[in-house]
Amino acid sequence: MMSCHAVRPLLPARVEELAPAEARTRAEHVAACTRCATEAAAYTRLGQALAAMAGLEVDPGDGALERILVAIGRRRTGVTGPRVLAAAGASGALVATVVVARAVRHRRHQGGRDRRPASRRLRLPALHVPTPALARAK
Amino acid sequence: MEVDRGLVEAAQAGDRWALEELVRRTHRSVYTCALRLVGNPDDAADVTQDVYLRVVRKLGGFRHEASFSTWLNRVTTNVAMSTLKRRTRRFAVEGAAVPADTRDPAPEPPERAEAVALARRLELLVAELPEGQRQVLVLRDVYGQSTEEVANAMGLTPGAVKVRLFRARERLKAALEETEGGQVVALAGRRRSSGRRSS
Repeated sequence: MMSCHAVRPLLPARVEELAPAEARTRAEHVAACTRCATEAAAYTRLGQALAAMAGLEVDPGDGALERILVAIGRRRTGVTGPRVLAAAGASGALVATVVVARAVRHRRHQGGRDRRPASRRLRLPALHVPTPALARAK
Repeated sequence: MEVDRGLVEAAQAGDRWALEELVRRTHRSVYTCALRLVGNPDDAADVTQDVYLRVVRKLGGFRHEASFSTWLNRVTTNVAMSTLKRRTRRFAVEGAAVPADTRDPAPEPPERAEAVALARRLELLVAELPEGQRQVLVLRDVYGQSTEEVANAMGLTPGAVKVRLFRARERLKAALEETEGGQVVALAGRRRSSGRRSS
């Protein structure tokens, strides 16, 4: 029979986690050694309690369910989050750029048809304002 | 967490009420699983929300080959692991708050009551395990995933999973005996049925 020291690393394992030879060795040792049998039983109890943890639930707190439902609703309507909003913003900026560019082109096109001389297009009255240096010279 | 197949099928068919009911019935267990894996409530809340966004996207492809709970549990595991990879490493200081809110939604038959009582006390000790050991233990021993599934989810070899698992069990048993004065062993004489899930 193997020593307790040799069998000890096998005690925490479930049967299906051991190679057949290891499982046989452990079973033989545990059948003959009270101390290791107690140890193996403790691991079995621990396993049962851990499995029972799956049925326990932690309350996620107020509003958690509502936040999830809102997030799902956003996803279903296509508004999902910062990335989508950023993409939407970029698309909007692109459309705006195209619209402005077309408007400028249109205006230039119309300006091209109007072939009046530049001087005639400026209708501001000519102002005669003497500079301070000239005023002093006078 | 048991979910009717009819409810899942209705949600798959686009019934908005069914989808909301599905979320309503499962969100606590998803949050609990996420909390056990990521170790703090804020990240667990984010993971829970991401899980349902993924569920909405993938529900049409769910073929009922496994139970909905098993599928949802795998989605939760994958989202939690992705979150952990992205997350800057930080201490899960809120881990100690986990056991305070735990509740057992199922009625407790007498033979289950002892294991449930012990499970409640275990929550705190599990939360105090090193992160890698805790995740392996939670996936394998709490949620019954196979060693291979755990290895895939965590990007480890099956051998590495076994090493972490054995260390986690040893540490947990020692911690439990330290705090409970041999409570694990004391239960041994009173419980005969196995109750363990096969993997």
